[in-house]
Amino acid sequence: MKKNWKRLLGLDILSDKYAYSNDAEHGWTSAEKIPEKWVKTTCGYCSVGCGMKVGVRGNRAVAVRGDEDHPVNRGKLCPKGLSEHHTLQARSRALRPLLKHKSEFQPVSWDMALDTMVERFLAVQAKYGKQALGVLSTGQLVTEEFYALGKLIQLGFGTSNYDGNTTLCMASAVAGYKRSFGSDGPPGAYDDLAESDLVILIGANIADNHPILCQRLAENRQGTVVVVDPRVTKTAMLADIHLPVKPRSDIALLNGIGHVLIAEGLVDAAYIERHTTGFEQLRTHLGAYTPSHVAGITGLAEEQVQDIARRFGQARAPFVAWTMGVNHSTQGAETVNAICNLSLLTGKLGFAGAAPFSITGQCNAMGSREASCTSSLPGYRKFESAEDRADIANLWNVDPSVIPTKRGHAYPDLVEGMVKKEIRALWIIATNPLVSFPNYDVLTQALGNLEFLVVQDGFHPTPTTLHADLVLPAAIWGEKEGTYTNSERRVSKVNAAVPPPGEALPDFEIFLRTAGKLGVRDKLFPGWTGPRDAFEEWRQVSKGRLCDYSGLSYELLETAGPVQWPHPEGMESTCTRRLYGDGVFEHADEKAKLFCIDWQPAPEQPSRQYPFVLNTGRTVEHWHTRTKTGEVEMLQRMSPRAWLEMNPLDAERLGLEMHDKVTLVSRRGQVDGVELRVTSIIAPGHVFLPFHYFEYNSNRLTLSAYDPISREPNYKQCAVRVERSH
Amino acid sequence: MSLPLLQRTADPSFCRYTPADAESLELRIPLRAPVEGEQYRFHFDMTKCIGCKCCEVACNEQNNNPAEIRWRRVGELEGGTYPFAERFHLSMGCNHCLEPACLIGCPVDAYTKMPDTGIVLHSAETCIGCQYCTWNCPYGVPQFNEERGVVGKCDMCHGRLSEGREPACVNACPQGAITVELVQIDAWKATNAAAANAPGLPPAFETMSTTRITLPENIDDSLRKADYHRVRPEHPHWPLVFLLVLTQMSVGAFAVLLGMGAAAPKLAFLFATAAGHAALGFSLLHLGRPAHAIRALKMWKRSWLSREVLFFSLFAGLTAAAAPAAFFGIGPVKPLLAATVLAGLAGVVSSARIYMVPARPAWNSPRTLVEFVLTGALLGSLLAGGPAGFTLAAAFAQAALTGWKIYAMRTSAEFEMKQSARLMTRTLRNHLAWRMALLALCLVPGLPVAVALAAALGSEILGRYLFFVSVVPRNMAATFFSGAEAA
Repeated sequence: MKKNWKRLLGLDILSDKYAYSNDAEHGWTSAEKIPEKWVKTTCGYCSVGCGMKVGVRGNRAVAVRGDEDHPVNRGKLCPKGLSEHHTLQARSRALRPLLKHKSEFQPVSWDMALDTMVERFLAVQAKYGKQALGVLSTGQLVTEEFYALGKLIQLGFGTSNYDGNTTLCMASAVAGYKRSFGSDGPPGAYDDLAESDLVILIGANIADNHPILCQRLAENRQGTVVVVDPRVTKTAMLADIHLPVKPRSDIALLNGIGHVLIAEGLVDAAYIERHTTGFEQLRTHLGAYTPSHVAGITGLAEEQVQDIARRFGQARAPFVAWTMGVNHSTQGAETVNAICNLSLLTGKLGFAGAAPFSITGQCNAMGSREASCTSSLPGYRKFESAEDRADIANLWNVDPSVIPTKRGHAYPDLVEGMVKKEIRALWIIATNPLVSFPNYDVLTQALGNLEFLVVQDGFHPTPTTLHADLVLPAAIWGEKEGTYTNSERRVSKVNAAVPPPGEALPDFEIFLRTAGKLGVRDKLFPGWTGPRDAFEEWRQVSKGRLCDYSGLSYELLETAGPVQWPHPEGMESTCTRRLYGDGVFEHADEKAKLFCIDWQPAPEQPSRQYPFVLNTGRTVEHWHTRTKTGEVEMLQRMSPRAWLEMNPLDAERLGLEMHDKVTLVSRRGQVDGVELRVTSIIAPGHVFLPFHYFEYNSNRLTLSAYDPISREPNYKQCAVRVERSH
Repeated sequence: MSLPLLQRTADPSFCRYTPADAESLELRIPLRAPVEGEQYRFHFDMTKCIGCKCCEVACNEQNNNPAEIRWRRVGELEGGTYPFAERFHLSMGCNHCLEPACLIGCPVDAYTKMPDTGIVLHSAETCIGCQYCTWNCPYGVPQFNEERGVVGKCDMCHGRLSEGREPACVNACPQGAITVELVQIDAWKATNAAAANAPGLPPAFETMSTTRITLPENIDDSLRKADYHRVRPEHPHWPLVFLLVLTQMSVGAFAVLLGMGAAAPKLAFLFATAAGHAALGFSLLHLGRPAHAIRALKMWKRSWLSREVLFFSLFAGLTAAAAPAAFFGIGPVKPLLAATVLAGLAGVVSSARIYMVPARPAWNSPRTLVEFVLTGALLGSLLAGGPAGFTLAAAFAQAALTGWKIYAMRTSAEFEMKQSARLMTRTLRNHLAWRMALLALCLVPGLPVAVALAAALGSEILGRYLFFVSVVPRNMAATFFSGAEAA
């Protein structure tokens, strides 16, 4: 009270809070932001994989700085990274295990929580079969946790119905690489953005989504930057050439480029002959994709198609990078194949500047791809290969018969399994499907069918934890140790800066304790106490594989900084490298495959009743479903709610004005009260809605259409109508 | 496999591990301090900025500011037609002007134009939280921090610059779009700061902004601020609404009483005095630091706010002498009253001049002075029991002035004026209607004086409320959402 009076009179102006002082490393800054120590780690948001230092005072993270020695970001961070320490102190952190009792959450002990979880899971499995337990994880854990979780699920619980939210994000790239090259693994490196003489970004708005990569693009002074995107994104505006294609016409464009390359003799016949299969079929197939045909599908001019093709053919080192514009499609994997075709036809991959390169989504989606038991066995081993199964069974010291011969349900099939009541219990780890999974109503119906739902997350409440029967509070970035692998296969050390809040535990510890309750801890994780034990085993499991970690150690990563795989034992160089420089691929015949891909229209076309094509995407201030960034007040204020982008011509026709509140309606559902942004960055007939906001959930509109190969949802196009909200 | 993996992938000719470039610091800040005739300035390269807002976040972290305060802001400009749409971003801290409007208006001398660096520095210790600088700066740079009760602004991280480090925003920018440079002051003046101009910004010569802005070539004519269509009412500043209305009523009443001579009702002197003193009480509530109000007198030679405080203090003191003198009929009543009215009128003029600033176009007109004087005439006449004809004329004039103001703003070429008119006639149209209705009510013949006074007072309070909330300040472009409430 006394303080209040002094403040009201103006005798107290909070001088201590606003004082400055000198940080030994970073100089003059707010005194409250000066830590006792800096802890090196890697950013926990996206897959760019920026190095950072967390400033710690007592048990509190007070500041974050970009790591100037880190080869990825060179000291820079995006606005989410710059404020990441605030997520640790979010009000909505999950603090203790909560068990739902008569629709009320009751705090329980960890022992009780894990006993209950294991008991209920085993009961469900006993009643409906082992496969009735599903597990849905994430790209947010450290590799050590993915590796441990994979073993726990596959060998402990004995179910293969395990997938990650990476299927909502990168599955098409994974599947595409596997088909073209015989293995997952992005062949290029970020340096290529600077070194290529032709950078083509397809469906990749890096200025909003991977802003730290833009500095690499800015270093590229001679090269031409081409952006293929239906929307005039910030990235498109940075480009030398923007190709505003119609939504989902990229396959036609890629095939058209292939057509011109072949027709004008811009292919490398020797490379094709030596390192690929399927050229003759592809040549015949591409015959139909003449520039005029492609122009009709893409909405580009014939000359634009020819021009980009010739540029590609004449480039020394063309670099094609993509993100969700390609992946979020029923033809995602095939689009990746169509991209890889171009690199293979010209033999331009595997050297500096040249690669077909998927820019990944989450901080450790790559670790999940490499080390978990979701779409592959650890080390890019294939479920389908008897040799690979025997190999991993041998490493794990188990009978090969316990390794399934095919992957379990992918994410959307897990949900369908729940709808059909084949899946009766589910363990969700560090993901928020109520916001991120398409067709909200189907998902809620699916979750309603479960007998037991466990949600393990750093945050509670989230729209998903509210559905849980049991909430397990987990540590998040900044509170645990391990490694992340970024889009360019670079393995970075992740360190704990502060202890987790309340009773929250690192996911790794939760997995070990669960194994203990299940009675398999000594068998699966003998003598393990921390993530280092998992890393040591993972090194051995990855040995000799494409993603070879065997030469890496925590000590090397701490001293030499982040290193790309493959890094086999005995290797000393930690410099930037590419895959497939020798033209030897991972298929059995060591050749890459060329695929004949047909362009197909998007699954739901606009109609009289639903005349707009809805496109979804991100904004720079937010991460995924906003469980983290929504708690960072600075970011939340910058982008407080969803907006709908609409072309001025459409707005005028509908009698709508800037800032009007509108309702979007699709065949699945509707979203109300979205603020209209009338803008020319979007084409007439299209609208754009960011997907971060549960309050304006784009997934009430999106459809249940999945890539038959990768199982990735088609988030990017569905048909909606827009009307004024009432 | 033809080759071991190690050899397949580790061709050293492609090795390009590049640690942070040690030399690039000199590209971001000057390596020497300014010499005589020079000062620091920001350079912003609009062609490089990707609108990531790292600078905003880094600035707030550097200065420990709450989320609602942004010493550095990023705005958006948009134009063109699909697919040739354009969207540019403008990041701005303080422009460290050669003729800083914030400094010139400050009543307590809280601002310093540092002689060696040219940085416009604000002292939180000296500041009393009057917020006058926030009205004077045409870029919206100084911002009032509610939590502290004082204003704050970008100081170019001079503490960092002086130790050879770049400001936080410069350090954080991944695109190298923000740098610090040296500017030759005379040469810059000679160009009228032309290179500081950018679409959506007020003319740079008005305050001689020093920020050099590199613009993209061939900017589309249709480029507009992203917040072009978002017009929000400004802060009402209630204590100031009462300060203005009551001081004007008090001064008006004394003027009328002086004019009435012996016919003046005695009790009215007391009422008028009470109104004047209450007004000064209200003024304290406006300050972030009322305990230091006395400091506001300091800059009377330069600041209209200091002059307002000075004249109204004098006025209040004189009323304390003049009113009892008139009430009891002792002492030199007439000279005392005349002095009181003079001080009061000087106060009212000073009040008006405070608001007549280029950064707030709707206020920057002689209409503001006329409006204040008419408030005094109308309320003063009603309070003092002045001639009915005079009261009626004042009410008529005030109504006509309001109409004229809206007409003039609506037909103005200036964006901010048009938007002010739009606010008055759309968002605030109910307030405006009540204001006019109450004004009309005092014109009803035969109305009891108390009722007429209440109606007029209500109308004038509404009028002054509208005055504050309907002003659209000049500013840089905002983003689509800035100014929107947090969800």
